[in-house]
Amino acid sequence: MYRKQVRRRRAVLALLIVGSFILLTVTYGQGSNGVQRGVSTIFSPLQDVADRALKPARDLVNWFDETFDAKGDNAQLHDELQVARKQAVGAKTALAENAQLRKLVGLDKSGAIPSGYDPVTGRVIARSPTVWFADVTIDVGSGDGVEVDDPVVNGDGLVGKVAAVTGGSARVTLIADHSSAVSAKIVPSGIQGVMKPSVGDPEDLILDFLDSEKRVGKGQSVVTSGWRGIGIESDYPPNLPIGEVAEASLKQQEAQQQVNVRPYADLRDLDLVQVLTGGSRE
Amino acid sequence: MILTPNIVARLIAIVVAGVILQLSFFSQVALFHVSPDVLPALVVVLGLLGGTLTGAVCGFWVGFLLNCLLIAPLGGASLVLLATGYLAGLFRERFEIHSALVAPLLCMALTLFAELGFGAVELTLGIDAPISGLVIRDMLMKSIFAFFLGWAIYAGVRRALRPALVEEPMVRRGRRPTVLGA
Repeated sequence: MYRKQVRRRRAVLALLIVGSFILLTVTYGQGSNGVQRGVSTIFSPLQDVADRALKPARDLVNWFDETFDAKGDNAQLHDELQVARKQAVGAKTALAENAQLRKLVGLDKSGAIPSGYDPVTGRVIARSPTVWFADVTIDVGSGDGVEVDDPVVNGDGLVGKVAAVTGGSARVTLIADHSSAVSAKIVPSGIQGVMKPSVGDPEDLILDFLDSEKRVGKGQSVVTSGWRGIGIESDYPPNLPIGEVAEASLKQQEAQQQVNVRPYADLRDLDLVQVLTGGSRE
Repeated sequence: MILTPNIVARLIAIVVAGVILQLSFFSQVALFHVSPDVLPALVVVLGLLGGTLTGAVCGFWVGFLLNCLLIAPLGGASLVLLATGYLAGLFRERFEIHSALVAPLLCMALTLFAELGFGAVELTLGIDAPISGLVIRDMLMKSIFAFFLGWAIYAGVRRALRPALVEEPMVRRGRRPTVLGA
């Protein structure tokens, strides 16, 4: 009797292990499959309710975390505020001029979203629990016009792109995920590079493959370059803000041709995002 | 663990609630910049209470549901969590659990094991980006969180599965058995 139980137990374990390997082999690199779409459809309403119900509790916990941070940031912010005030005067003038020009050519009023894109607003309803994946699930999917590879932004800048969609939800791979690579440029100098993550640290991105002859300075802004070639183009439209250069030592630029960038978007705390559907992609 | 339809239904409810709670709450909060991961701890508790088979099967389905809801490739999380559940069950079958600290300590150790496992699976499949040293901090912090959350999870799950538990030691404090004629 006992031997029979042991045999059955081993058989179940072997089945589960083999099943895991088969699932991994079959589904790795795929966007989504029928099983996931089915399970996601069943559980999406439940997730949505849980997400909304737990928002006050989440905010409370995050408030504690932010309060700890705020103490350390206070002095630094005072210095930055003085610089920002000076810049704001010039920026306001530029913005007013920009808004007038945009109205003239009929572009989007905010200027954040390139023309030809139709933004769809979604809420983050789930997030990968491990440090190895930087994915979030949002509550809009193919039913809302979302497609794989659509860029995703929030009010601060680029967040990532859609990696898989179901009818009512989509997986967004964040720019901090190890699989992410974004063609980017530094403004105003226009130096090009590829933005890659530093796995495990969503506040640190690496702008790689820079021209070692050109110098990049701390505090410079980084935006998507949105390149376009014959029959091929970047998934991201040009000039979406990504972040600012946080560290750019001469040694790092000459030896490794890279600088460290702090993303504008808080990738740890995402709530509402916009998927830029449509665009010029075929 | 005595598995009746009622207990299986409770196990399914625990697994679903755990995954939903992880994705909707724990993954979206941060303490000291790290989000707690309660799923390995949940699987450890199920393994501790139910044995190797229950731990492994629950681990597999927790991973499966997690990947389905994240629309991520299936199998990786299942593999890691079934190993986690199996190890917790093995501990229960090999050793007597005398101290109340065992469950949280095991949650802490096996959460670290699970996080390393997730990393190993991902490294095997290929990571084309530099890895920050903060990954280690993140994994250690998740383990520490699992220690504290392990208490609550163990108490809650044990209460939910109490009718199915074979050994439920009733600790009587401050009262000795009456010996007649002494």
